[in-house]
Amino acid sequence: MGNSGSANERSEMTGDENPNAEIAVMVVDDHPMWRDGVARDLEAAGFRVVATADGVAAAGRRARATTPDVVLMDMHLPDGNGADATVAVLDASPKSTILVLSASAERSDVLDAIKAGATGYLVKSASAEELFDAVRATAAGQAVFTPGLAGLVLGEFRRMSSSPEPESDTRPTLTERETEVLRLVAKGLSAKQIATRLTLSHRTVENHVQATLRKLQLANRVELTRYAIEKGL
Amino acid sequence: MRPTLNSADPDSPLWRASQAFRLVTLVYAVSYQAATVDNYTNPRLSWALVALMAVWSGASALLLSRATLPRWQVVLADQIIVIALMASTRLVADYDWYSTRQTLPTTLWATNAVISAAILLGPKGGIASGVVMSLVSALVRDRFDTDLWSDATAPVLLSAGLALGLASNTARRAHEELRSAARLAAITEERERLARQVHDGVLQVLALVRRRGLEIGGPAAELAELAGEQEVALRVLISEQSAPRDDHTGSIVDVRALLRTQAGTSISVSTPADPVLVESDVADELAAVVTTALSNVELHAGADAKAYVLLEDVDGELILSIRDDGRGIPAGRLAAAEAEGRMGVSKSILGRVESLGGTAILDTGEGEGTEWEIRVPRTRGAR
Repeated sequence: MGNSGSANERSEMTGDENPNAEIAVMVVDDHPMWRDGVARDLEAAGFRVVATADGVAAAGRRARATTPDVVLMDMHLPDGNGADATVAVLDASPKSTILVLSASAERSDVLDAIKAGATGYLVKSASAEELFDAVRATAAGQAVFTPGLAGLVLGEFRRMSSSPEPESDTRPTLTERETEVLRLVAKGLSAKQIATRLTLSHRTVENHVQATLRKLQLANRVELTRYAIEKGL
Repeated sequence: MRPTLNSADPDSPLWRASQAFRLVTLVYAVSYQAATVDNYTNPRLSWALVALMAVWSGASALLLSRATLPRWQVVLADQIIVIALMASTRLVADYDWYSTRQTLPTTLWATNAVISAAILLGPKGGIASGVVMSLVSALVRDRFDTDLWSDATAPVLLSAGLALGLASNTARRAHEELRSAARLAAITEERERLARQVHDGVLQVLALVRRRGLEIGGPAAELAELAGEQEVALRVLISEQSAPRDDHTGSIVDVRALLRTQAGTSISVSTPADPVLVESDVADELAAVVTTALSNVELHAGADAKAYVLLEDVDGELILSIRDDGRGIPAGRLAAAEAEGRMGVSKSILGRVESLGGTAILDTGEGEGTEWEIRVPRTRGAR
């Protein structure tokens, strides 16, 4: 496991070549101790922390002003939840990517944030190095999955495909290969291990994982649209 | 009448509907009186009795639909007034008239007493009142020999009492169920609120202590481990708490809650977001299978091994995968162990899964970890 001290030295040594400096990060968390701790760690590792926020409204405002590349998002905020904040941030700054960082056991609220457009999820007890990797991956447009998140996403697609509602034929479904990849993620295999097991390239595995998130977000939009039409909104 | 639904009173809609019936029957009784009054012996008194009937109709309709007095008092008065009015038949007509016709001035209106009793007391009260009214009607008219085909008074009164009584019981039961569901929802909400509170404070600090401690190293790393264990224990406690059992469906449980209690720093548990409900004995067996498999991982997979539990709910089938990334079992050793009769763990898992009508497959190899895939049908076949 790496630590922030050595990351700091490395960033000083490499100077402008530090790839982390390209990444503008915003930390959204209502817990000051945690928020400042994470921001300090990120800065020590060479990331640019452009803003912090303690709630949904502040997150939206600061995202508009600073257009961060990656937003680290807590699930529990005083004026809403992580899903609300995800919507607010993406409204204000559509190019930002959202990495949910939550202490909670994976539950439906995390799934709501993913449906709203977050592309990654990490537990707060993850090590600093795991966090840095996740921020870099999120900034690069990759999906950051935990086995728990994969289980939630799998369950969600199965729930949708078994519901008798009429729009189920227009709603996106997972291909067999995507389901297979997601199951292996849920069983704790890394992208590399999955690539080996299915004799695919690492890149292809990443693409499959990303596709599942895109489809989930699309399905969510389909559902919301249908709801809006039904309610005459 | 205000069309409000008093949530504390499940019978209100029935009471209001029955008052509409009361007014309709009053119109019928008055019309009957107007059409036949020429044949009565005492028309003046009979009109006075009709007026009394109309006044009581209005008063009881108001009292019963608004529940200003205790309803049992109004219903009791209803019974007495209807009986008295039926008896008054003998004061306003002669034997030839009343012995072959309905009681005056009540006629169909007498049914209201039965309906009130039925709504208040259920089918038994309804039938009891129906019997009383039928008897009074027969007594007053001196017609015990009437066969049911020419005089429907008794069947109408009894069936009205039964039907309204059943309807009232159903309304009360539905209301009770609704209330218990609301109570359960309130409990769940409160628990979730508590969970969030704990979550925002204690869990965050524990997670932070764990991270910082590991970074500092040395004695702090020990503290970090302890904090990590407590963080997981607390998280499990919260997720268990937020899944209260419903008293009405005590035998149905959410398997996710049972599995989550297994989660730890080296054990990841993945489930769908929605509850996975099965009979409690099935859930207990599945939990026992997971416990057995995980204790096997702890014993044999190696100190650094991580375990992953995945629960899937697919088309009437539960799929439970328990995987570890440990040492695995070399192909030869598995067969050798079986030959020596040392396959207790696998036997125990297979036995439990077979009793649930499912299948269990073990996939392993040296250095590849082990992976159980257990499939169990959602509803158990005939036993």
